[in-house]
Amino acid sequence: MRNERKYVKKYGLPFSFAFLLVAMEALCDLLQPTLLSRMIDEGVSRLDLNTVLRFGAYMLLVTAAGAVAASGRNIVSSRVSQRFGAELRSDLFRHIQSQTLPQLDRFDRASLVTRLTNDVTQVQNFVNGMMRVFAKAPILCIGSLVMAIRLNPKLATVLAIVVPIVAVLIYFNLRIGFPLFLKVQAAMDRLNGVMREYLSGVRVVKAFNRFADESVKFERINEDYRVHSVRALRRMSVFNPAVLLTVNFGIVTVLWIGGLRVDNGQMQVGHIVAFVNYMTQILFSLMMISMVFNMLVRAKASYGRIGEVMASAAHVHRRTGAEDEMEGRGRIDFEDVTFSYDGEEGTPALKSIRLHCLPGQTVGIIGSTGSGKTTLVQLIPRFYEATSGTVKVDGVDVRRLDPKTLRDKAAIVPQRVMLFSGTIRDNIRWGNESATQEQIERAARMAAAHDFIRSLPEGYDTKLGQGGVNLSGGQKQRLSIARALVREPEILILDDCTSAVDVATEAVIKEQLRTYARGLTCLLIAQRITSVMDADQIVVLDRGEIAGIGDHQTLLRECGVYQEIYRSQIGKEMQSHGA
Amino acid sequence: MAHEQSRSDSRPAVRDLPQMPGGHPGRGRGGPVQKPKDFRGTMKRIWGYIGQERRWLAIVFALILIDSGLTLAAPYLIGVAVDAIGQNAEVDFRILEAALAGLIAAYAGDAVLTFMQGWLMAGVSQRIVRRMRGALYDKLHGLPLVYFDTRRHGEIMSRLSNDIDNVSTTVSQTTAQLMSGGIAIIGSLVMMLVLSPLLTLASLITVPLVYLLARTITKRTRVLFKDQQAQLGALNGQIEETISGIEAVKAFNREEKVIADFEEANLTLRDTGMKAQIWSGFLMPLLSVINNIGFAAVAIVGGTLAVKEIITVGVIASFITYSRQFVRPLNDLANIFNVLQSGIAGAERVFELLDEKEEPDDPADAVRLERPDGEVVFDDVSFGYVPEKTIVKDLSFQVDAGTSIALVGPTGAGKTTIVNLLTRFYDVTGGSIRIDGRDIREYTRDSLRSVFGIVLQDTYLFSGTIKENIKYGRADATDEEVRAAAQAANADSFIRLLPQKYDTVLTENGGNLSQGQRQLLAIARVILAQPSILILDEATSSIDTRTERHIQDALLHMMKGRTTFIIAHRLNTIRDADRIMVIEQGGIAESGSHEELMARGGVYSRMFHAQFKNLEGA
Repeated sequence: MRNERKYVKKYGLPFSFAFLLVAMEALCDLLQPTLLSRMIDEGVSRLDLNTVLRFGAYMLLVTAAGAVAASGRNIVSSRVSQRFGAELRSDLFRHIQSQTLPQLDRFDRASLVTRLTNDVTQVQNFVNGMMRVFAKAPILCIGSLVMAIRLNPKLATVLAIVVPIVAVLIYFNLRIGFPLFLKVQAAMDRLNGVMREYLSGVRVVKAFNRFADESVKFERINEDYRVHSVRALRRMSVFNPAVLLTVNFGIVTVLWIGGLRVDNGQMQVGHIVAFVNYMTQILFSLMMISMVFNMLVRAKASYGRIGEVMASAAHVHRRTGAEDEMEGRGRIDFEDVTFSYDGEEGTPALKSIRLHCLPGQTVGIIGSTGSGKTTLVQLIPRFYEATSGTVKVDGVDVRRLDPKTLRDKAAIVPQRVMLFSGTIRDNIRWGNESATQEQIERAARMAAAHDFIRSLPEGYDTKLGQGGVNLSGGQKQRLSIARALVREPEILILDDCTSAVDVATEAVIKEQLRTYARGLTCLLIAQRITSVMDADQIVVLDRGEIAGIGDHQTLLRECGVYQEIYRSQIGKEMQSHGA
Repeated sequence: MAHEQSRSDSRPAVRDLPQMPGGHPGRGRGGPVQKPKDFRGTMKRIWGYIGQERRWLAIVFALILIDSGLTLAAPYLIGVAVDAIGQNAEVDFRILEAALAGLIAAYAGDAVLTFMQGWLMAGVSQRIVRRMRGALYDKLHGLPLVYFDTRRHGEIMSRLSNDIDNVSTTVSQTTAQLMSGGIAIIGSLVMMLVLSPLLTLASLITVPLVYLLARTITKRTRVLFKDQQAQLGALNGQIEETISGIEAVKAFNREEKVIADFEEANLTLRDTGMKAQIWSGFLMPLLSVINNIGFAAVAIVGGTLAVKEIITVGVIASFITYSRQFVRPLNDLANIFNVLQSGIAGAERVFELLDEKEEPDDPADAVRLERPDGEVVFDDVSFGYVPEKTIVKDLSFQVDAGTSIALVGPTGAGKTTIVNLLTRFYDVTGGSIRIDGRDIREYTRDSLRSVFGIVLQDTYLFSGTIKENIKYGRADATDEEVRAAAQAANADSFIRLLPQKYDTVLTENGGNLSQGQRQLLAIARVILAQPSILILDEATSSIDTRTERHIQDALLHMMKGRTTFIIAHRLNTIRDADRIMVIEQGGIAESGSHEELMARGGVYSRMFHAQFKNLEGA
């Protein structure tokens, strides 16, 4: 991951400082036994009470120094690891926010959530653990190795075998553990996914009385996670004992070779004892290193998953100056636009669309379910890009425009209402952070939402649950419209967002728009002909193609599909009322 | 037609969302600081989960006991070997070989036992986690809708993932250590007492110090860990919500603001995490200070005693070795106590959810509702989501078995509330609802809900194939029946155009289908389920009218002989209902068949004319 360098640069220095403090801590730890032995040799053995007390004082002094170093290390390492973790999470979050929708579609949403939380925590834990113990272990290990070699180079050949074996063991630990922990994290994704689904679909689950089945599904995934975790943990649990065994057998070998050499008169017993002591120290440090590598495996798997998201280029849009070429306020042109969700080979969702919306026009879009209405309007704020042909806003190809500029110009009210937890005011202000209460109320009035908001006990301060669950469908849609209007856009796209609003209210909204938002280009997707019949032009979509464009009268005369839609809505009424 | 001064407000206003983005995430509801609950009670409950593994834990304990013996034997054997080499002029190979053979056996045994401990504990801890997570999930079943409606999903998810993970890490890290630590402490204490009771007393000076230190630190970390977990939950909630609604974030150019909100929560978490980590990190260095003070004390006291020739130098040397062996596990125990705090913090949040109030249990004499005729009576029903604000007032009406009733009226008039009451998503606050002459509260909740087939406006599809989603209504349906249902719902034609047809996997919430297509699937789902009572709540709002007309036939066919509730805004979709009831402000404004109401010239006919005014003029 390219970002590594950035983190190393930023945290390298404090990290090294922590390392230094750990080294000091280790040094103090190593000094204690020496002081103690001198206290015994020079004080106790000679029955010299003053010396005993002097060395006792030294010991306390060294202890104090060690404590200071350790406390310093603690503060530094906690700060560094938490800051690093927070920054990694923040970078990942920013990166996700900068991605386009097709880029994000590659990941399951639940997986993105897991990566932002659980995976970041794993990496952070590793960094923290590393700063706490890792520095100490190599210092002890290398120190003991040097001492052992200086003590007896011949015996040290045993170490020349033991150490590489341990290295190989650690290598295999990484190799084997990595894919296993990747699977654990993937199982975590699924677990999060199924929980998310349950939470969003809880009404349906309750309505269909399907808890037992959902529970089976959950149990399967829960069990799956357990199996993967246990497998990974068990596979990992081989390595520590293996390191232990290797070094311990080294000790046995040292004793055996030592015995032979002493027998030959080439060596003294004292050396063996000292050597074994060093080996025990090496063993402890190697165990620590092996433990850190155990953490590393997990962290590496998680880091890889974070890297996967970070790998796709962030979409940074620089102002190209194309904005200056824009002419007019709210003109939209579709020039021979074809679009497919799966790239050029995929089945097109839109075919050769030619459409021109002039500033201030209201354009109705009507067509059967799945005919491409939503897809069409999503190309305007550049949620997706045309596979071929061009979409222009105010005369400029949208691909040359900063999506920010585009989305400030064009407000879209999506079909699926997305409200957030927070007050009603927060939700409307979502459209425009700097909106005053007056502007918020004006937008709410235009969306015919003001009255119902006022009638709530807490008015604009009423808190909503996630997704606005505590409002009725029509109320949610009206808030969603108000949120778009508070932006005072030049282009307003209403994607079938009045389906749950009764006709009278819909008429009020349209009337308000006509009065207060003159000059606003409005694209209106609807099912009801009454919603679009007074539009300046109506586009009839059928299977991704334009079946007709024109005003109500023209289409009624010339467009077969439109006539059919018309009949489906009015036919019976005409018959029964003869109006 | 001033429909808009409606009383509206149909669901409870969330007064008290646990964590709001701008506020102080994690500070929770109670007050400024998360108050840790009763430590012992929580431990007891955790033990309830751990206890089920006691057979395995006993085996682990036995392994640790044997292993402790082996690790004690190793230094002894090394001593024997060294003596065999150095004691006499000649190396005694017989003894050396025997000692080394013993050493190999001890080391091999130690490795195998260590491995087995790790192996067993992996199973034990993950089983505990699985059980806890399962219990939490099962708990979700009993919770009333209002619980889900007032919390961020990510926050609940965090309890099932992060908090449970915390418990599991704690269990797997501490259990074995706790056992081996206990054994080591007792062993060393005995050895020390044998060597010198006086010195033992000197070295025990540190014990109260260790205790005091551990208590002081854990008192702080317990609060901090609790805060940290709550803040992590809040952050998770925020992340989940913004990732789910990322389309809206993009549409409104809200990236900057969303990032700023995230950053705030992220930094709050970071600062708490930092504090928690620093405080808990102080434990070990300070412990080693205490230990070293202890060593110094032993050395000084021992030295003094030795100078006065009360004990020998050799005793001091071995005593220090043993007191080291005593102190290490003592430190471990103190550290475990610290790690435990983080586990407790997780466990408390898990138990908090487990202790949420559930939907009231079915009464003991509840009967199962099976294949009802479907006569529904609302008798003087009143309801309000909050006591002081009734939404439905003294509502009485009857729907004869097998007939259909349409509910119309302005948004927020209480139509959906009526459905919520009928299905017992919420319970009436006054009066009663009867199906087949019996109060619905006298039926078991499960059997009651299974007689309804509901198509909601917010269609929710699950990830899985199209077939699975249609079969959601009836799991044992054959492929033929699935197809027939899809055909009736007019969904078959578009499904066939998909590359994998009925086996097409739907992405999250059916994202790869249009809203209308999703509604068609939901209708197919209900058609397949063949419920006794049908509820269509804006079931066709996103479907174009031509398609709707095709489905209408299927729906009409299904409505035949079935009690049906229809809520719709497009009035032509309801005119075939046997009776139409206009709901205004939670009461009945007028009711009758389409023709009757049109003839009366009241609210309904005005609404009807408003809808068709333009078309009729055309």
